Amino acid sequence: MKIIRIHNELLGTYGDRGNGDVLAYRAGLAGISTQVIDISYRDAIPHDGDIYFLGGAEDAAQILSCNALSGGALHGAVEKGAVVLAICAGFQILGKSYFANGQEQRGLGLLNMVTVPGPDRYVGDIKIHSDLLGIDLTGFENHGGKTILGAGTQSFGSVKVGSGNGDGGVDGAISGNIFGTYLHGPVLARNPEFADLLLSRAHGAPVKVSDPLADSYAELRREVVK
Amino acid sequence: MKSPRLNLAISIAKTAGALSKALGRGSGETLPGRVLLALCPNAIELLSQSRVVILVSGTNGKTSTTKELVSQVRIVGTVVTSASGSNLTRGVAGALMQDSVFAVLEVDELHLPTVVAATKPAVVLLLNLTRDQLHRMHEVKRVASRWHQMCLEADPVTLFVADVDDPFVNYAITGAASAVRVSFGGAAGGRHPDGAVCPSCGRYLDWDNGSYHCDCGLSNEYADHRFDGGSAGYRNFVLASVAADLVGVHNAMSNIALRSDYRGMERATEKNFAGVKVRVRLTKNPASWSEALAGVTGNNVILVLNAREVDGIDTSWIWDVSYASLAGKRVVVTGERGADLAYRLHVEGVESTLVDTFDEAIEVFGIGSVEVLAAYTAFFGLVNR
Repeated sequence: MKIIRIHNELLGTYGDRGNGDVLAYRAGLAGISTQVIDISYRDAIPHDGDIYFLGGAEDAAQILSCNALSGGALHGAVEKGAVVLAICAGFQILGKSYFANGQEQRGLGLLNMVTVPGPDRYVGDIKIHSDLLGIDLTGFENHGGKTILGAGTQSFGSVKVGSGNGDGGVDGAISGNIFGTYLHGPVLARNPEFADLLLSRAHGAPVKVSDPLADSYAELRREVVK
Repeated sequence: MKSPRLNLAISIAKTAGALSKALGRGSGETLPGRVLLALCPNAIELLSQSRVVILVSGTNGKTSTTKELVSQVRIVGTVVTSASGSNLTRGVAGALMQDSVFAVLEVDELHLPTVVAATKPAVVLLLNLTRDQLHRMHEVKRVASRWHQMCLEADPVTLFVADVDDPFVNYAITGAASAVRVSFGGAAGGRHPDGAVCPSCGRYLDWDNGSYHCDCGLSNEYADHRFDGGSAGYRNFVLASVAADLVGVHNAMSNIALRSDYRGMERATEKNFAGVKVRVRLTKNPASWSEALAGVTGNNVILVLNAREVDGIDTSWIWDVSYASLAGKRVVVTGERGADLAYRLHVEGVESTLVDTFDEAIEVFGIGSVEVLAAYTAFFGLVNR
């Protein structure tokens, strides 16, 4: 399984690189061999990845990364059914437009949504309920964007604590195998069930990993974030 | 000449501090400054007028660099300085209550512009900017932009001394009327850990062996002083010496070469806990964790992670530090967010014992010596025990 971590030097401000490490670790426990490939801004994006990761970033870095991806490599991978996990700034660039450096920027258009500046910056612990997984997920959010989902775009979860897409209603977006969310943490470290969902999608068959330490950590976070 | 009002405010503030200390309500370090500012809001400005002020700021190394600078400047005149780690405006005000020729003060990164405007310092030493307390700082670029504005607005007599191998610091001083640029031949580790984007123009910043050169002109090629590279502690020692030289410590620069193996500046303290010899290092963000982990030499290690306000309330950054060098050592993890760290180590193949309290962590070892890497609040908790 090829795990592609896109532009971590740009999209790595909030520790989201850990998502790739957690996924590879859990895949290993499930007997699936993986390769984590770090793709820098100067590299071409491989088309044959099974999972692509995009993380949170500062404004200037977000613009650079989005522009580098506008050539269509990610679009091609998505068409082939690749799984995408995009966090925060990485999530915003998947929409039709987003704001950075005080200006509207053109997004990649992989998700039917737009992001505009919110009234305040949203900083703090966040807990959402995912209908897809049937459980609560926890993380940490730190962003100033308000994401408005277009008609037919499904959210990733309903917000129980925190702000999510900006109004305290829902967080993130899902479309096919694309998952977007504001949850840092990293989200896969704090929510192993979500990691297994992504592994299952990429593997094409259900993957259920047993790692008691991961479970107890996830449970602890669910208890304390309220 | 101090005004009667200021003199009165100072004596009330001093009395309040002494009372607080006597009543056991705290160490008495921040209260006097707070009282002074409440009674006389422009106290910092008034108390700075008749002395040579040197400010020290940056993400890592403020306290140890300030101490080093105090020890050098003390040779040529009386010095007041901040109480250890007390680097907000109230700490600055508290330090300035005593008369002196020099004031050497560490200042929090976000408070620095206010303190520069109020003190009109002779020298401002800018050490580094890396990711830290992102819930408060939000972005490294945001802090650098504030510093840039501060440099533009500063009194022309103020000299900014900066490590230009750090592009954020270098960008900040492009706005300064007078600056002394110091380079160590490039950033440690080949690149600044957060420096993928030019803070000045937003272009992608390519790094070559620790050096950068942006099309907009931002580069570490231009320096007034060049030194060989070294540990973070060594760099800060050199920067302190450059600042000391600028305020008249004449042998400060020549002493750099004499002390080229300088290692004594890291924030560490040695103590005994229940028969275990403990060496505690302060670790508060990815850069300081990496530096401290590289310095671990023994086999017994305790890691303490908290996530209170000054620690940074988000622990996600622990995934940007590699703990692989701890593999094979006896590692015990504790702190309010110990579970976060234990799981992060686990994924990197470093198994640890997770316990609830520091005392339990000590009990795991029972005897011998242990190296402790402790988050900000945990560090002070242990040092003051």
